[in-house]
Amino acid sequence: MKRIFPFVLFIITAGLICLYMLIGSPGSGIMWQLRFPRLILTLFTGMVLAGIGSIYQLMLANPLAEPYILGISSGAAFGAILFGVLGLVILMPLGGFIGAGLTLVLVWSLAQKNGSFDRSRLLIAGIIAGMFFSSAISLVMYIFRQDTMIILGVLMGNLGRIFSQKEWLFFQILAGLSLLLMARLYFRSRSLDIVSGGDLYAGSVGINTSKLRLEIFILSSIIVGISVSYAGIIGFIGLIIPHVVRFFIPSGQKRIYLYSIWVGSVFLLLADLIAKNIAAIELPVGVITAAIGCPFFIWQMRRS
Amino acid sequence: MNIKLYLVLLISLALLFSCKTTGQKDSGRYVVLSPEVAELLCALGLEDRIVGVTKECSYPPALASKEIVGDFGALDREKIIQLQPGIIFSSALEQEAIAAEFTKLGLRVESFYPTSLEQLYEGITRLGEITGTQSRANALSDSLKQSLQAVMQEAEGKRRPRIYLEIYRDPLMSVSDQSFVGALIELAGGDNVFDRLERDYARVDPEKVIEAAPDIMICYSQDSLQSILSRKGWQDIPALKNGRVYFEADINPDWIQRAGPRIVDGAKRLRELCNQWEQKL
Repeated sequence: MKRIFPFVLFIITAGLICLYMLIGSPGSGIMWQLRFPRLILTLFTGMVLAGIGSIYQLMLANPLAEPYILGISSGAAFGAILFGVLGLVILMPLGGFIGAGLTLVLVWSLAQKNGSFDRSRLLIAGIIAGMFFSSAISLVMYIFRQDTMIILGVLMGNLGRIFSQKEWLFFQILAGLSLLLMARLYFRSRSLDIVSGGDLYAGSVGINTSKLRLEIFILSSIIVGISVSYAGIIGFIGLIIPHVVRFFIPSGQKRIYLYSIWVGSVFLLLADLIAKNIAAIELPVGVITAAIGCPFFIWQMRRS
Repeated sequence: MNIKLYLVLLISLALLFSCKTTGQKDSGRYVVLSPEVAELLCALGLEDRIVGVTKECSYPPALASKEIVGDFGALDREKIIQLQPGIIFSSALEQEAIAAEFTKLGLRVESFYPTSLEQLYEGITRLGEITGTQSRANALSDSLKQSLQAVMQEAEGKRRPRIYLEIYRDPLMSVSDQSFVGALIELAGGDNVFDRLERDYARVDPEKVIEAAPDIMICYSQDSLQSILSRKGWQDIPALKNGRVYFEADINPDWIQRAGPRIVDGAKRLRELCNQWEQKL
């Protein structure tokens, strides 16, 4: 089973990408100017969510951890929504970055005590920051009722973003930067495995757990902030995909991380394909991820 | 002790039943929550009867002196009741629930939300009956019909440009033929690119806009021309190539989105845009 897993996944990935690009026989203009950017955004978002989810679950020693748990997503969503309702629709990603940056500073300052970076404090600080920005989003929703669609687009995920030429270039740069940061996180997998055995044990083999957590928190926040700024909040993937991967690969964060990234991107691609084509109106992709993922997860859980 | 208790109970019941509901009479004081109705009531010469409006009731300018009772979806209930309205004119959508609350309080609520021209004409007649201005209402309705008929006749036999109306950019939203504005585009001789959508105003796929190749684009999504021109894959759309992108400054959204007396201006302006397109063919 383990040997054919990558092979099967490769076939599914290739098939889905072909289907995604060719469904409905679009002209080459639509295919390369619209679908290709959407494909890249979808793969990127799926990678980020599932990859960071797998890291957070290990780092926070919490199976319910997901990329949005440390509040960065709410901050980014608030920034993007605020720019959107103020009429700066094109600058929404910039609003997202600013929101993510402010939240990062807020959580960081709340979580650290005498220079140490304890995981419980980090989790609590993240949840508090997330709640604060969620209430701020509710307030904006209440005041700017006429802009409900913009707000829902961010809160329920929107992979159908219209890119201008400059925006696309900027997104490519940021996605490239995110991939580099994700590669850096890959090389922290071994340390994370050790830290999951307890801070004392990790300290005894020479790992500075506080510094490691801080590094992971900052890098992952930048990546999640970029993802939310462009695609909005898409639930479920970051929580469930790492668990699904662990059904096949029970241990070894390096492999879990890599496969989470791969499965996450493919799963989001499938969800977006369905969201776009199942009904005449495009459905929010977050609804589809939960609708397919939950039954699959329950089936896997019962099977094992 | 028991006698005292019975007395208190009796007095309480007497007080309770002596409370009067405000009744269903038209006291000639109107609170108007819908900008469309505000425009129509003013067109019927009933401006003096309006005592309260929502923020969105911005036309005619004389309404600026009226009491503001909140905005479209967030109403100040106490202020409305203080104004002692004979009739509250509401719209549909989120106002329906609020209207139901006022009805429970014994206030008279009249809802008005036409989604087609026929419903608009019927609505004007009903407004006339409610306000006792039947003859003026019939005259207004006839005048609107004639003016729109004239626009329709002008459009007959002419080529129909494909028109795309954008309401939101992210996510992209447009209108269907079933919407009021979609019907007005068709009447003025245009061909709305989205014949059918799940709702009057719905999310649309950017790919479908490019495939539809609209000749005219009306943009109410707060986007700029420069930004629209730089959208990936949109450069070959005829409307963009030929500089036929129009904004709020070119065609007032209230003329075509509000089912009020100014739809004649909206239809005429749409016709002008179609004529300009045809002349350059």
